[in-house]
Amino acid sequence: MDGVRVGKRVIGAQSPVTVGWENIPKVEGGPMRLFFFTWFQPTMLFALIAFWYYAPNSIAKASTAVGIGIAFKILLLGLEWLAPRHESWRLTWKELTVDLFYVSLGYTVLRLIEGFIGSDAVIEAVQTSFDWQKLAWFIGLPLLLQAFLISFVFDFGQYWMHRGMHNWYPLWVTHAPHHYITQLNVNKGAVGNPVELFLIGLGIGGLFDFLPRAALLAGSLGLAVGTYQHINVRFNSPRWWRFLFNTTEHHSVHHSRDFEASRSNYASTWVVIDRMFGTCVDGEAELLGMEGGRPMSIRETMVYPFADGWRTLKERLGRRSVMPAE
Amino acid sequence: MNHRLVQWIWHVKGSLALPPGQTSDEAFARLDPLFRETGTTRQRDGSRLRFRKRDQAAQDRMAVFDGGELRVERGVGAPVLRYHLTSRALLFCFLAPLMFLAVARLTVIVGEYNKPTPAEIAAKEKREEAKAALPMSPIDAFLGAPAPEKPKKKDPKSKDDDDKPRPTAAYVFAGIFSVLYLVGRIGQARLVRRLFTTRLSAH
Repeated sequence: MDGVRVGKRVIGAQSPVTVGWENIPKVEGGPMRLFFFTWFQPTMLFALIAFWYYAPNSIAKASTAVGIGIAFKILLLGLEWLAPRHESWRLTWKELTVDLFYVSLGYTVLRLIEGFIGSDAVIEAVQTSFDWQKLAWFIGLPLLLQAFLISFVFDFGQYWMHRGMHNWYPLWVTHAPHHYITQLNVNKGAVGNPVELFLIGLGIGGLFDFLPRAALLAGSLGLAVGTYQHINVRFNSPRWWRFLFNTTEHHSVHHSRDFEASRSNYASTWVVIDRMFGTCVDGEAELLGMEGGRPMSIRETMVYPFADGWRTLKERLGRRSVMPAE
Repeated sequence: MNHRLVQWIWHVKGSLALPPGQTSDEAFARLDPLFRETGTTRQRDGSRLRFRKRDQAAQDRMAVFDGGELRVERGVGAPVLRYHLTSRALLFCFLAPLMFLAVARLTVIVGEYNKPTPAEIAAKEKREEAKAALPMSPIDAFLGAPAPEKPKKKDPKSKDDDDKPRPTAAYVFAGIFSVLYLVGRIGQARLVRRLFTTRLSAH
């Protein structure tokens, strides 16, 4: 495999990666199908923004956001079933069950722990100890600007955490299990070691105080854009969307079995951050995973950071002890 | 408790008659591609085939099973294929609701022991009140967004605590995994039977 030169890097030398939007297949079918898969993403995004902007205070609550989030994911699961992007990524009973297990950890055990040591605790501590009046200027900004800043600043932090995970071994061992997924489905974003999910959730967005409605608007960006990172559906995303936002295509390159390709497209929602720092690769891949596509069991996922970390430490210490004395 | 009933949780057993004239060699030859998947090892011993699967690929048609045995036996009319398959995925899915019920209980206990102090509640209420008192951006007022609502004073006697961890999610997931288990136990048994039937009768 020759790969394709992108900047100073060669992408796709180890595993097939399609580089360049012009080379990516488009949705095929009748006019209704084309219309649906072209306009679905922007319509849902603007509909959610309009909803959260104008919803009465009695409706604009976190519980409504949870309900909308669940309904949206069920809708996307339906789309995956009706119009899969790749047959090789088709959701099976076992994949769905395993994915939901990780999702459920996020809603239950991790949420419980987060209240003590995670971002929730950090936000609470910062907001309680800090004179929030000093940040009042932020609350006076227009809602959509507040929402954009919350989303962008949080994603900026996440970008560097994610990039750090791909470049520093102690962080990588927490993130590696997520890269053993061999297909992208709606709930695959939750698959991984809980330590990673905790680290990636630490955002500097918590340092701001903001109106609840702005947070709900920012959340809708995550839902109506970030969710498409992991989905087995092909959309004809508009050019501006692909420029600004992370897409399934971008994220499939990130999950490719090709090492260089996997070191790109780190942002969660705003792929424009990758463009700013030269890590964006426009393209797509179907063959995903690590070690030739070996799936990782739940048990191994849970212990991997500790087991692999311990193994590496022992190797390093062993190497040092057999070095000849000078 | 009945041993067979307990086994039913993660053991899938069944039998189906081979098409007329089909020998055990022919039957196993037709089924062989199912056991040539990555991570699968198989051992053929006459009219018996044993297999093990480890790190099954997601699209392996028998990914849900970790091992089992297939035997061709003499039936009333034609020879019969009997299979006995085991699935850890089904076992874990069966146990998952129990785990989430335990998590729900733990959430309630943590909530009881970790009640916010009156000072913490007062500080939070003060922050929320001050936030709601801020003037709305003129752009938002022009576009017609609802103004932030003053938070309602909480009744100090009220037992409801918004910040208390709630066990609802754990109960919901216990329910989801119960349904998933039933769908999986019945559905996967049917799917594997259909898979064997299709393979054996394919032209």
